[in-house]
This record gives sequence, C-alpha cells and structure tokens, in this order.
Amino acid sequence: MSNLFAMARRIIRQILRDRRTLALLIMAPLLILTLVWFIFGAKTSEPNLAVINAQSSDFASAFPTSQYTRMSPLEAHQALADKKIDAYVDLSTPVNVHLEGSDPSRNGLAMNRIQKSMQKVQQINVTKMSNQLKSIIQTQQKAIQGQQQVMKKMMAALHLYAPGTLAQIQKQAPKQTRPAAMQTPEKVSLDLSYLHGNNSLNTFDAFGPAMVGIFVFLFIFMIGGVSFLRERTTGTLDRLMASPIKNYQIIWGYMIGFGLFVIVQSFILTCYLVYVLNIYNVGSLFDVLMIVFILSFSALSLSILLSTAAKNELQMFQFIPLVIVPQVFLSGLFPIDTLPKWVQVIGDLMPIHYSTEALRNIMIRGTGFAGWWLDGLVLVLFSVVFITINIIAIRRSRPLA
Amino acid sequence: MSHPIKGEHLYKKFKKQVVLDDVSLTLNEGEIYGLIGPSGAGKTTLVRILLGLEKADSGDVELFEQRPTLDAFRSLGYMAQSDALYNELTAYQNLEFFASIQGLHGNRKRQRIMEVAESVGLEKEMKKGVAQFSGGMRRRLSLAAALIHEPRLYLLDEPTVGLDPLIRRDIWTLFRFLRSKGATMIVTTHVMDEVAKCDRVGLLSDGHLIAEGAPKELTERYGVATVEDVFLVKEGAAK
Ligand SMILES: Nc1ncnc2c1ncn2[C@@H]1O[C@H](COP(=O)(O)OP(=O)(O)OP(=O)(O)O)[C@@H](O)[C@H]1O
Ligand SMILES: [Mg+2]
Repeated sequence: MSNLFAMARRIIRQILRDRRTLALLIMAPLLILTLVWFIFGAKTSEPNLAVINAQSSDFASAFPTSQYTRMSPLEAHQALADKKIDAYVDLSTPVNVHLEGSDPSRNGLAMNRIQKSMQKVQQINVTKMSNQLKSIIQTQQKAIQGQQQVMKKMMAALHLYAPGTLAQIQKQAPKQTRPAAMQTPEKVSLDLSYLHGNNSLNTFDAFGPAMVGIFVFLFIFMIGGVSFLRERTTGTLDRLMASPIKNYQIIWGYMIGFGLFVIVQSFILTCYLVYVLNIYNVGSLFDVLMIVFILSFSALSLSILLSTAAKNELQMFQFIPLVIVPQVFLSGLFPIDTLPKWVQVIGDLMPIHYSTEALRNIMIRGTGFAGWWLDGLVLVLFSVVFITINIIAIRRSRPLA
Repeated sequence: MSHPIKGEHLYKKFKKQVVLDDVSLTLNEGEIYGLIGPSGAGKTTLVRILLGLEKADSGDVELFEQRPTLDAFRSLGYMAQSDALYNELTAYQNLEFFASIQGLHGNRKRQRIMEVAESVGLEKEMKKGVAQFSGGMRRRLSLAAALIHEPRLYLLDEPTVGLDPLIRRDIWTLFRFLRSKGATMIVTTHVMDEVAKCDRVGLLSDGHLIAEGAPKELTERYGVATVEDVFLVKEGAAK
C-alpha cells in the first residue's frame, strides 16, 4: 500500500516540477477548445447576395434590399466571379439563381436565404391570384346585379300585364339558397418544436461533447504515454523491477498519480466549457465531470499499454495517427450510420465514441444518470482491460520473480 | 559459507548473437567480486540475468540460495550502467522515492538519505534538481540509491565510470566498509587499478568466463604482471 502511494507521490511531484507538462495537461485543452469555439460557435455568417432585373418584377418585395444588393446583370456576373457575392437571383421569368459554388457551406447559406425569399415569392403569387379572382367575382357580381335590375323591371311589367303567368313562373322557380360564405383558408406555416435543445443550438454545442473527449484523450494519452515510456528508456523501470514493488503497484501508482491531475483537469475543463464558453448544457455538471474523468483513465491506461510497444518518444507519437485520428472521425463528430458495418464495429471499439454519446445525452438531451451509466460502464471496462493487460505486460520485465 | 548469488550454466542469445555461453559464477558471502572484460563481453547481460531482469535461455540462478522471489529484492541493491534517475525531481526526492519503495519511512528514512548522501559526497547537493547534475554527480546519486536500504548484496554495473580518482578512492573505501559489515558485492569495471582491490575477479571475454580467482593468484598462475595481461595470454592461447 505504501509502495502505491510512494509511486503516486513521485509522479505528482514529477508533474508539479515539470511546468511545461503541467501547462500542456491543463491549459492546452482549454486553448484548443476556445479556438474550436471561435470556429464553430460563432453565429453562422450571412451570405452575400444580389438580385438583378428587380425593377420590372412583382417579386422585388420578397428580396429586401437589406439582404439583396440591387445590381445590373453585368455587375452581378462580375461580382460572382470575384467571389464578392455568393449568389445572385435573376428576377426575370422564370426566376433563376446563379451560385458561386466553390464552397459548399456558403452555397448552403445562400440557398437557405434564397429559399426563404422564394417562399415569399409564392405568397406574392398566391395573393396575386386571389386578387385576380376577387376582381373577376366582383365584375360578375356587377353583371348579375344589372341583370337583377332588368328582371325586376320585367317582373313589374308582368305584374301589370300578365299576373297569372307571373304566379306560374314564381311557383316553378327553384328555391333560392344563400351561397355559402367563402372561407379563407388557414394560413399555412411551420411551427417548430424541439425534443432536445433549441434553435439557438450552434455547431459548437453539437460538436462540444465530441471535442472534449478528443482533446482530453489526446493530451492524457501523450503525457501519460511518454511519462511511462521514459521510465523504461531511462532505466528507472529496471530499478523498480529490482525492488520489492509489485507490478500492480507500479501501474496503479501511475493511475493514482495521474488521476489527481486528471481530476483537476476535468474540473477546470468542464467548468470552462459550461461557464465561460457557455456550451449548451441541460445536464448536471457532476455527470459531465464523471464522464470526462472516466474517459481520461481509459486514455491513460491505453497510453501506458502502447508505450510498451514504443522504443522512444517519436515512436510513441506515431501512435497518434493510429489511435487518435480514427477516433476523431468515428467518435460521433460525423454521422457514421451509413458507413460499412465493419467500420462501425471499429467505431464501437473506441473510447471517445462512448464519451461523446454519454456527453450528448447529458448536455443536450438532459437524460441524467440513466442516459450515461451504460457508456460510462463501457469506458470503465476499457480501463480495466487495459490496466490488466498492463500488469501482465510488465511481468515480462521481471521474468524470474 | 553461504553463496548469495549462484548462476549455473547460463546461456543467452540475442537474436543470432550468443552473448553468454555456459557461464557459471558463484559469489561467496562477504567478498567483492570484480567482473572484468572488454566492452560487449556480456558483463551487463550477466548481471541482469543474475538479478532476474533478463531471462537466460538456459541455466539456473539462485539468490540467497533459493529461487529468486520478490522478497529477495529487499536485500539487494542494484545500480544499472545507466543512471536511472528521475530528472524532474531533486536529488533528495529521488532518494526519498527509492527509500519508500524499499519500505523505509519516517525518521529512519530521513536518516538513511542523509547517510548515503554523505557517503557519496552529495550531502550539499540534495536540494538540486537532478537535471542540473554533472555526469559524475548523477553516477554517485545512482549509487546512493542502491545503498539506501542497506542491502546484503550489491550488483553494481560500472559504479565508478566517469568519476575522478579521488572520489573513486572514496567509493572503494566505502565498498570495503560495506564488506566489513558483511555485504557481498559484484562490481563490473573497466578500470584495472580497481581490479586489484577485488577479492576475486572473473574475466569475461566473448561470453565465456575465461579465468576466475584472486588477482594475485591469477597473475601468478599465468606468470604475468597484471590481470589484464591474462586476457592477452588467453587470447594468444586461443589462436
Ligand atoms: N537487449 C539487447 N538486444 C540485443 N542485443 C543485446 C541486448 N543487450 C545486449 N546486447 C548485446 O549483447 C552483447 C553484450 O552486451 P553487454 O551490455 O552485456 O556488454 P558489456 O560487457 O556490459 O559491455 P560494456 O562494457 O560496453 O558495458 C553486446 O554485443 C550487445 O550488442
Ligand atoms: Mg555493460
């Protein structure tokens, strides 16, 4: 037991005395997340749009000048080529749109805005049609009124000269029914409701859970792995092996020593995300903290395991493209439902996959403990498996005892 | 007389290279055994096999007359050829750590740290970070770490390499003092004047233990002036 704490204390001292590592462990994830926040968290930018042939069009009101610059066809063409605008709308009939097209995200923005305007164009069309209908009905009503006048006069004449015939006609005339009052159709519009989140959820809120996992994992992986690797390369591991310390005490000593910094790091990172970057979070801070913490342990145990297979720091860093990058892509940052089955299976083997799922449940869906215990358990299992393999692997360094 | 280390018919191969070929070596209690031989002869490999850090392909090792156990390491001090120190820590923190994992604590631990620091002449440098140590200082600190728990058996791989003659003399005085208290020691070395200070020496050449005995006895047996000449005689005989 005291060996365990001696190990842990030594690691804590080592990190505390190595300011650079300490800074990397604690500050670097904050810095990078802030950067990511600026990139994805900013309100989506406005598309630059123009219209041509607006004067002669009835639809000009659907394209307010605040959103669409008025241009001549020639100007618009030039501006598009110079990437000054993302698209322009030609209001001649039929209406057509010209996109710049080189950047899918800008295309999307432009089309979004233009589609909204096109809805207004539809409305304008509909009002125009109903106005036309009204005026047709009105002229017809006038014509009917004129005829009724004539009829009245004819009736008066008949009354005077042939009352019998009149009575006959009135008897045969169909009963007058009042025309049904015209009903205006209900206004058709879309009412949005969100099961989770709301319409102010931006890309960062959605990416955040995955990002936290990726960066926590990355930094713990690098620092933990290199630190254990040094133990091997400087020969201190041999010295430990020639002492009565037990294998599990070495590995658990690492877990506990780093664990302390992992707690601090998780705490700072989570508070920073929630309170400073204001990431969308409906769950409890404690739940988030737990997941970040559990994930860090799987990163640490995995890094110790892989450091066994590395001969030097460079080789340790060569694991990053192998271990971290696939996790970035398969972690849930991008949808993977459509990928081949075997790729999805690989995704299921990745710790960050589970932390992302758990953090999304906590922060966006607000499902509480019920939403994360399973993912948390899988992460704990990862750690247990890695730690066990570590303890077995280290036995090879002490073949006799 | 008991034998703290006994290695019998040790054979070791790295890939295709035979590094130890049927080496048997027994240490008597209370002696300083010098293991000498040219670079690459297999000295470090032999020491590591005796310690159990490396597994021999065949042959047996006994520590304290039984199969090695974790407990044997309590009475064993090992100093590797590399310094094996934690560079981020101070000298004191290094010794403190090695003392702790050897089961020392409290006042006893503090007292031992000061004692070993003094015996290697580093008592004034204890607060310094090891990263700022010179090569010789690191070597001495590494030695101090091997002494900290007062083991009965020492395996020291080139303990005096890179040290100046004065300190080297002090360290050999220390070794003799430890021996006088009953410790057994196996020391590898390149320095020939140290050979004469050993009770017995073993000459390792190309994975073979070509000669073994007290330095005086060896020079007499082969009729040469110094122990290193024995290598020349032996190699000459082989040709
Ligand atoms: N881990 C290893 N893998 C492969 N070969 C090794 C390994 N360790 C040692 N050797 C080889 O075994 C031989 C003996 O090495 P060893 O370190 O025992 O020599 P040494 O006598 O201690 O030399 P020196 O005096 O230079 O320290 C060398 O040829 C070396 O290349
Ligand atoms: Mg050597």
